[in-house]
Amino acid sequence: MSQSAATPMIEVADLRKRYGEIEALKGISFSIHKGEIVGFLGPNGAGKSTCLKIMTCFIPPTSGSVRIGGLDVQEHSRAVRKRFGYLPESAPLYTDMVAYDYLKFVGALRGVGGRKLGKRIPEVAEKCGVTDVLGQVVGTLSKGYRQRVCLAQALIHDPEILVLDEPTVGLDPNQVVEIRTLIKDLGRERTVILSTHILPEVLVTCDRIVIIHKGKIVANGTPQELQEAQASNPPVVLRIGADGLAAESVQAVIKGQPWAGSVRNRPVGLAGEMEFEISGQGADDLRERAIGLAQAQKWRLLEVRRELLDLEGIFRKSTQE
Amino acid sequence: MGNIWVMGRKEFASYFASPIAYVAIAVFLVVVGLKFFVVDTFFKTGEASLRSFFELVPAFFVFYLPAIAMRLVSEEKRLGTFELLATLPVSDAEIVLGKFTGALGFLKVTLLLTLVYPLMLGLLGEPDWGAIIGGYVGLLLIGSAFLAIGLMASTWTRSQIVAYIVGAVLSSLFFFIDRILGAFFEEAKKVAEYFSFSSHFSNFTRGVIDTRDLVFFVSMIALCLVVATFSLNRRRWN
Repeated sequence: MSQSAATPMIEVADLRKRYGEIEALKGISFSIHKGEIVGFLGPNGAGKSTCLKIMTCFIPPTSGSVRIGGLDVQEHSRAVRKRFGYLPESAPLYTDMVAYDYLKFVGALRGVGGRKLGKRIPEVAEKCGVTDVLGQVVGTLSKGYRQRVCLAQALIHDPEILVLDEPTVGLDPNQVVEIRTLIKDLGRERTVILSTHILPEVLVTCDRIVIIHKGKIVANGTPQELQEAQASNPPVVLRIGADGLAAESVQAVIKGQPWAGSVRNRPVGLAGEMEFEISGQGADDLRERAIGLAQAQKWRLLEVRRELLDLEGIFRKSTQE
Repeated sequence: MGNIWVMGRKEFASYFASPIAYVAIAVFLVVVGLKFFVVDTFFKTGEASLRSFFELVPAFFVFYLPAIAMRLVSEEKRLGTFELLATLPVSDAEIVLGKFTGALGFLKVTLLLTLVYPLMLGLLGEPDWGAIIGGYVGLLLIGSAFLAIGLMASTWTRSQIVAYIVGAVLSSLFFFIDRILGAFFEEAKKVAEYFSFSSHFSNFTRGVIDTRDLVFFVSMIALCLVVATFSLNRRRWN
């Protein structure tokens, strides 16, 4: 079972999935290392769940491969299935079962033996905050409790890998915070992959983000990396005092500079101030150039800042094409 | 083996988690009781035999057992619980056998509750115990075959109703095939009899446990369970 740190825990190579006419996954490749918490981010219908279903051996890929701990999910399906815990979308449970019996049932099928299981159930129940409802029939539980019972099920055999499909969907804000904290906590000693269409979720819980859109990966990196990647020469925003200047003439002056590409006059909503968004040409640091220009023109310089897209911007930019 | 047992126990318990199971058993016992005491006027005829019981029950099973089997897989597919079950380290064959074991448990409970009739016969008269034992073995086999058919139908759909209708139609086809086909084609009668559940069952009620009948029912059950396993396995195909 031991493996070198260099071997990825999960390795997905050129994964494709076709449902009849629809191509849900169009060649996805990425890898996840031991101990990482990776967020699968994408709009609804992007292919996140399909990818997770293939990783968990529920459906086969049309082509491509997934290896978990070095084992192919199709060739060694059963061995692979022992290694992860899975929380499917919308937490499907047997509504006629008592929560305790349900956990016992899954535990037994997971190969957790009798006495060990008897100790394990209270442990995971405690961890997931379902101790109080263990004696209740699942069908009578609220959505939040069901979600957590299903999470407890995924943890019953203390798996190395946790696969969570939309773990916070349908929960109230307090429950969302609780589940996120729990996931973060679980991720300390495990590899976690979770899917979501909620952006703050990945920011709070994940080490790395894979943005998936229309069956393709459009971005993959830490939140910081993603911001830096599109920030090699970001536009700057220059704000100056109006002081009787005409916006058009200022714009013309900026445009006349050799280093300036496009210039846009942005509405400010404040009388006496003007703002321009300048995109650069070449590799110059636009901030220095803008400051230099304002001084030379004797404009009253109020503010110069780089326009870094936040994650939401990156997400929107990469999923709108 | 362990997994099958765990699955079977869960299925068995879930029958009794809802009142429907009790209602179903009650209906069964009432129908059998009415036939026994009212229609056949058991106390008047004074015949120490279960012949009419063994005629009624299999025909009743044709429509009763598909209702017991219909939810086994279709409900899992509808609720989405199948996804979780299938991603546990459990094989499709184990799932099918486990579900079958659970439903079989229900059948056994139903049959156990009818044992009061032979006991009554034993107290009041001198029944032909061979015919009774044979009859019960036959009921267990024919019932298992109906359950296997119902389970197979349940793997084909996410709707319990569809599973029930398909199961009941297939069951009645196999039960009445000699009577249906035989009525029209004299030549087909022999073939139809070979596939007919009722003709294989009738030997048991005479107290004859014939290997051919055993083999027939066991292979029918095995065939349905294999088809059910393949049908679950289909999602893994491309």
